Amino acid sequence: MDSGTVLHALNLAYELATLALTTLGLAIVFGLLGVMNMAHGEFVMMGAYAAVTVQQWGLPLITAVPLAVVVCGGLGYAVERWLIRPLYARPFDTLLATWALAMLLRKLVEAIFGRGYRNVESALTQPTLVLGSPYPVYRLALIVFTLAVMAGLFFWYRQSAAGLRVRAMTANPILAQALGIPTRRLASQAFVIGVVLAGLSGVLLAPLIRIEPGIGVDYLLDAFFVLVVGGLGTLGGLFGGVGIIGGAQAITSSIAGQTSGYAVVLMISIVFLWLKPDGLFSRR
Amino acid sequence: MAFFRDAKPAAALAAVLAGLPWASNDFTAYQIALFLVYGMAAQGVALCWGRLGFLSLGHALFFGLGAYLSGGVLRAASNEALWYLLLPLAIAAPALLAYLIARVVFARSTRSGPYFSLITLALTMLGFLAAQQWSGLTGGFNGMADIPELPGTSRYETLYWVIAACAVGSTLALSLLVARPIGVVWEAIAQNEDRLQLLGYATDRIKAMAFAGSALLTSLAGALFAAHQGIVTPQAMGFVLSTELVIWAAVGGKASALGPLLGATIVGYASAELREQLPYWEAAVATLFIGVVLFLPDGVAGLMRRGQAPRRASAGQAKPVRRPFAPAASLALAEVQTGQAGVRILDGLSLGLQGPGIRCIIGPNGAGKTSMFNLITGRLPLRGGNIRLNGHDIGGQPAWRVARQGIGRKMQVPSVFPALSVRENLGLALWAGRAHGTDLLCLATLGWQTPLLTDILGQFQALSEHLDNPAGNLAQGHRQALELAMTLLPEPGIVLLDEPCAGLSPAETHHMIQAIQSLVLRIGAAALLIEHDMSAVDALGGEVYVLHQGRLLEQGPLAQIQASPAVRAIYAGGRK
Repeated sequence: MDSGTVLHALNLAYELATLALTTLGLAIVFGLLGVMNMAHGEFVMMGAYAAVTVQQWGLPLITAVPLAVVVCGGLGYAVERWLIRPLYARPFDTLLATWALAMLLRKLVEAIFGRGYRNVESALTQPTLVLGSPYPVYRLALIVFTLAVMAGLFFWYRQSAAGLRVRAMTANPILAQALGIPTRRLASQAFVIGVVLAGLSGVLLAPLIRIEPGIGVDYLLDAFFVLVVGGLGTLGGLFGGVGIIGGAQAITSSIAGQTSGYAVVLMISIVFLWLKPDGLFSRR
Repeated sequence: MAFFRDAKPAAALAAVLAGLPWASNDFTAYQIALFLVYGMAAQGVALCWGRLGFLSLGHALFFGLGAYLSGGVLRAASNEALWYLLLPLAIAAPALLAYLIARVVFARSTRSGPYFSLITLALTMLGFLAAQQWSGLTGGFNGMADIPELPGTSRYETLYWVIAACAVGSTLALSLLVARPIGVVWEAIAQNEDRLQLLGYATDRIKAMAFAGSALLTSLAGALFAAHQGIVTPQAMGFVLSTELVIWAAVGGKASALGPLLGATIVGYASAELREQLPYWEAAVATLFIGVVLFLPDGVAGLMRRGQAPRRASAGQAKPVRRPFAPAASLALAEVQTGQAGVRILDGLSLGLQGPGIRCIIGPNGAGKTSMFNLITGRLPLRGGNIRLNGHDIGGQPAWRVARQGIGRKMQVPSVFPALSVRENLGLALWAGRAHGTDLLCLATLGWQTPLLTDILGQFQALSEHLDNPAGNLAQGHRQALELAMTLLPEPGIVLLDEPCAGLSPAETHHMIQAIQSLVLRIGAAALLIEHDMSAVDALGGEVYVLHQGRLLEQGPLAQIQASPAVRAIYAGGRK
């Protein structure tokens, strides 16, 4: 293989990995709980700002992980308890409430950190050789990490007793409750895990992107489109959605520019929403 | 007079807007006009969301299209005045686009939940990209600038009056529409679209028309925006504007005509003034919005108005309405098959009936009784065989089309429109198939009567006592009576009744059976009735069909059925 092909393949893998990473949290919250969390992107953004914060304090980047877990987890718990729970049966209202939450978080972060772009430095950004092509170590680590997290979640969801309870709750919440499954607590845990994953993806992406308070919207919309195309509640759907959305965007962008890539993603999503609203791999 | 009562909000608005330039100054009026424009666009969002129950996140697309098209026409007209003739077309074109979008989306699925919202959102973003890219047409990122003023107005003085007049006009139009039968139909769509289809309303078309109407209002607002600002940038078509329209509609009150205007002017104008002075202003707006979603589903307007005044028919003689369907129909199912998610439910069922009278269907749970009704009314896919009504194939048609050809259906769990009054529930059934042309826009339609309605209200006293109460407050037995009335009022040739006596006391069951017998006889319909109670089947008389495992097992008078060894076997568990 010549080095150009390897580089292209690695870049594609990297793009897909970041897309999968930022979608995972929403896949849990939207796919399992049915909550269209419009503030998903803002949790990613807050994770990135956690990295900015520890850098300001002069701490190593890894300390952003516990910070993001504490901040996103605590906030996620409160949001589920007081904002989402009263609205579970009202899909439009959860959409609007989380949307308002997104605005609130954006403006608060803006008030604290300012509007300007921030960068996070990482020691791991220098390249290493992959099959003869130089490639940043950090990106490689990100790809591997994403695969590991997805595999771990898959086995947890499929094999563990907790995963079984979650599946029971998703399939029939009332029956699950009657069987003694504490659906309220489970929903709360799933929501917290979802937003913590979003925050962690923000920490991981922080050294690779330019950080500003408005970055969340793009992550949110891409994640939505992935789930819509793939279908909710299955790992196959997540893979399929990431492949189609990420692949189409990467390929079109490289040929015809970024705007066209985005336009293609929008068009694919519209067609799927219209003709196949349950996605490629539906659990229904 | 009903007109003056319904026109009150618009009159109040007119009074305030007329006084505004004197109370403040021309510049404030100019600024307020911008938010009146946004408010009209938000009224469009609220029409779909607050009335019909589907949320559009893409109204900025129609706002922006209206603004760009009108801006382009105004620019062209400054050289050649003939172009002014195209201005109405520039405002109507986005509405046409909205109609087409809604038709193709709703024709595939009646689901109008968040998926429709996401489609409209994606369309807006596509529009935003297009506006940025086609810089030859739109001026790209910098926008379409130097848009001349509307002819005969000046931007900083008289244009205010044009905008104010449009805002009053849109408020008046919305208030009047909502008070009319079409307003009842819209609310019914939000509450139970499936039930409305079973009455024969083509809900996908009604929704598409409403969406187009709301887009027309939003596009008009866009045109006024172009004339007011003199420049249109891609932001006029953007995601952010779409979200703001929704917020204004929610804060002001999505179920009110005036609410969105209030929301846009109060929140929008205050934001423009205070954004720079208070660093946490936008966080405060977001918090306000969260509070509204949680605690004030009807927004500020919901606080001011305690309970809506009931709709009233205008004075005047109720129109005697003709019977829409030919009676004494025949229905024939031949070898029909249906299934769902891989499970075969009906497996070669053949069954026929002809002429007036009541027949009962019995059979163990899972025999496919309700599924047969679902198949006939287009709720389950026809996978084999055919269904003929009076010799015409009706297999696989959507629910509303089947209903229009004269098949009425009562659901197993009584389903009515809970937030509408009993009178409005009955009205919906009465207008189905009878209202033509502009009937749904006339107040007189609210007062329609038929002899059958009088008869039904005579038989079910409880309904006539509760005419102006919400149907959701009725007891189970009265709800069964209401749904029976709604099924029969269109006077269909075929009546499908799914356990009309479920949940009734023995005395109520007796009353219900007598009512069904006399009413079905009166309209001359052929009725099929699913029933588990053998004494009720006996009381109803007529042929009995026994269904078992998706097929017809036996057919005949009850005595013959009770003697049948095959029937005895399945009920006594002798054979699976």
